[in-house]
Amino acid sequence: MNLVPQIFAGLTTGSFFAIIGVLLTLMAQLTRVVNFSQVAFGMFGGFVGLWLESGRNNMPVWLGAIVAIIVTAGLSAIVGWIIATWLPNAQMAARSAVTVSSLLILVSTGAVLFGASHNNYKPLLPSVPITITLGDTDLIVTYNMIALVLLSLAVVIVMQIVLKKTMFGVRLRAISDRQGAAELLGVNVKMLNVGIWAVSGAIISIAISFLPSTISNDYISFSLLIIPGAAAALVGGFKNMWLALVGGLVIGVLQNIIASNPNPTIAGLKDWVVFILILVFLLWNQRKEVWDVAR
Amino acid sequence: MSPANQDSKNVTSSLVNQSFVHKGYAPLSMGVVAVIIGVAILFIPWIANDFSFTRVSQVLIMMTLLLGLGIVTGTAGMIALCQMTFAAASAWVIEWLEVNVGPNAFGEASFFIYLIVGAVVATIIGIVVGLPALRLRGVNLAVVTLSLAFAFDLTIVYFGFPANKANVQITRPFGIGSSSAKEDMFPITILIILVVAIVAVALVYMQRSRWGSSWKMVAYSERGTASAGTSVQVAKLTAFAVSAFVGGIGGGLYELVYQQARPEAFGPYVSIVLYVLATLVGAYLVDMALFGGILSVAIPFILTRLKLPLFWGDIFFGVASIQGLTTGSNLGEDIRRGFRKGKRAKQAEAIAATAAVETHKEIDSVPIPKGTGKPLLVVENLTVAFGAVKANSDVTLTVTEGTIFGLIGPNGAGKSTFIDAVSGVLPHHTGSVVLDGVKLDKLSPSRIARTGLRRTYQQDRVPETLTVGAYLKFIARGKASRADIDEILEFFGCPTYYTPLSVVDVGTRRLIEVAAGVASKPKLLMLDEPAAGLDHEQHIAFGERLRQVPTKYGVTLLIIEHDLDLVRSVTTELTVLNFGEVLASGSQEEVLSNKEVLKAYMGETEMM
Repeated sequence: MNLVPQIFAGLTTGSFFAIIGVLLTLMAQLTRVVNFSQVAFGMFGGFVGLWLESGRNNMPVWLGAIVAIIVTAGLSAIVGWIIATWLPNAQMAARSAVTVSSLLILVSTGAVLFGASHNNYKPLLPSVPITITLGDTDLIVTYNMIALVLLSLAVVIVMQIVLKKTMFGVRLRAISDRQGAAELLGVNVKMLNVGIWAVSGAIISIAISFLPSTISNDYISFSLLIIPGAAAALVGGFKNMWLALVGGLVIGVLQNIIASNPNPTIAGLKDWVVFILILVFLLWNQRKEVWDVAR
Repeated sequence: MSPANQDSKNVTSSLVNQSFVHKGYAPLSMGVVAVIIGVAILFIPWIANDFSFTRVSQVLIMMTLLLGLGIVTGTAGMIALCQMTFAAASAWVIEWLEVNVGPNAFGEASFFIYLIVGAVVATIIGIVVGLPALRLRGVNLAVVTLSLAFAFDLTIVYFGFPANKANVQITRPFGIGSSSAKEDMFPITILIILVVAIVAVALVYMQRSRWGSSWKMVAYSERGTASAGTSVQVAKLTAFAVSAFVGGIGGGLYELVYQQARPEAFGPYVSIVLYVLATLVGAYLVDMALFGGILSVAIPFILTRLKLPLFWGDIFFGVASIQGLTTGSNLGEDIRRGFRKGKRAKQAEAIAATAAVETHKEIDSVPIPKGTGKPLLVVENLTVAFGAVKANSDVTLTVTEGTIFGLIGPNGAGKSTFIDAVSGVLPHHTGSVVLDGVKLDKLSPSRIARTGLRRTYQQDRVPETLTVGAYLKFIARGKASRADIDEILEFFGCPTYYTPLSVVDVGTRRLIEVAAGVASKPKLLMLDEPAAGLDHEQHIAFGERLRQVPTKYGVTLLIIEHDLDLVRSVTTELTVLNFGEVLASGSQEEVLSNKEVLKAYMGETEMM
């Protein structure tokens, strides 16, 4: 069986997972939070945008997408502000716990506001597939896929440049390493934290607006796309963005290959890919023991 | 000591002793109270109807799930998002046994055998998942459990529960009928109350056991746990396994009521709600788990009556839990604090006063111990590098058995790094460390502690959630009897056995840490600035006590200290570190008169 078309098709979801993974890595590194409501923010903002586009509101799709981005960034910033204000020195688990609560709030509020059924999805990008023939294999490429792959690459490259090459990036890294020390140097740690949350919210919203309409848009299961994203981040140990990128792509591709298996039992295993991958990765990663804060 | 002083001591210490008497029957009485409340609810007329037994059962099932989750999220401080998966796994196993082994295959009480099997299977899943997830720090457990919950849910939806597929119902034990009417639900509810009471009492005892102490310790400090000779992984894994077992029991109780499981009841969303609810109420407390159970049933009940979407309840839980998380508290702790407010402040004052008197108390003076002459700890060419910086470079020293060895040097000289490396929390060092003939280099911190080398930390590693006695008992790992612990506490002038550590001030906590180290009867105890936070007189009294430790308790000491008076009054031999290297080594008199040492300590100018 020629796997190349399947691999190609898996790149769409794969690069979406990769973007989530990269953003989770960024936030874990800079703000010491594993943000479980990352996708839920984007979902909520997206539904606000969709609601404006649909029915009597009849807003153009592009404007709806912009509103979605702003709402998502704003919501994300609010949670970031809450954590930065009240839990500045708490452990990572305590800070991340807040995002589990905000995940619950977003999903249940979404259900109350927008009803249980989901709206018709008007994609931002044309869903006409382009067929590329490579030798005797037909590869189907969509605009969604191109946009998502490019976005995932762009996010990693831009973040790397900002963090490693600019003075601003040095500041960002300083607040994550020694928050107290950075504060003494006159860095406004709180606002930088909130800024990171807003930016990551905006990026996830852009990524969601590029998704094809075939991806689940039911509140709960959509918000739980954070799981493959977190698995991708785990591949990079919540430290390395490039590995998170690769991890996300591999998960997307693997899921797609398994899902396309004609045997339904094997195809059903698609849901276990992420879990098994996480376990294997953790087992492999166990060689080193890491201790909590120095002294 | 002046008579007035003596007087105030008597008053305060009697106050302290009165305040912290042991409440041995508390868990049992709590269980009984839970049973009484459960029964009482059933006979309040305006909610008692045909559904009221089902509702009480729902409350108790939720309480069980929350109790289990509370161990991981509350006591051990981790995020776990698959409690419903454990319940589902157990329910699935029970149904499978019902279908394939048959109802009542082992007599009328077969259900309870199936229940235990289901809970054990849930525990096994917990251990398999926990083993890789709990080894590393961070929120891995949250990611792993969420992905497990997700995958398991989809699989259950796909394959279905056995009873539903075979179109049968779980047979209730003791011939109880299968209807949801009062006459059948009454005995079922009584059975559930009994099971939950047993679980609750068992968990309260477990919280007070070694395991319970290790869970509280690991939530507070992983290094502290390892240095106490307890494996961090084992502590976390036992917490997670017990949590999974109790979750499995919860799933079994669900079967007792509904007799057929529906996949929707066990999805990842429900696990998330449960986690949020657990953090909101403080589910590690039995009464609060019950309260959480009541909330989870009462709020949807009220919303249904008001014809509002049920999701409002979840929004409320989410908002309330963020409020709790950001204040570092939960409903249970807030309520308890409200009750104790005045009492606690008085207790803290009383303890501070006693401690001040006790720690100033003069005791029989003994000379500086001479030691047995046998080398106990031999460190050769120990080098620790952080990148290009060498924090320790070729440090070689020998500690003689039965002495007090001083390690001194200016700030940043690498003293604490030395202790970290020797005690195993810095894995990347070169050179060799041998304690009483045993090579320690490749051992984990907890193994090193069990080999007989203990340490204290510069910052306090004493969890507020324990009592003084429970802390000493945990650190001592069975090396000290109750009488020994009381004796050591008195010797060091520490608060009494049942004093909660939360009311003890930081300076006294350091002393308690030292007392705990001594109680563990190690071959060598390394103290990292133990006297920081004590005033000058307390310093002297502390020195007097330290001098007695090697002969009285058979514990050799290595002490890092900045106060040269204390160093002079207790140490037999000294090593001075400067910029990570050994500057001088030898007997105390020799080293303290060494010009280089003085220069490093006082600076060039003062020497001129």
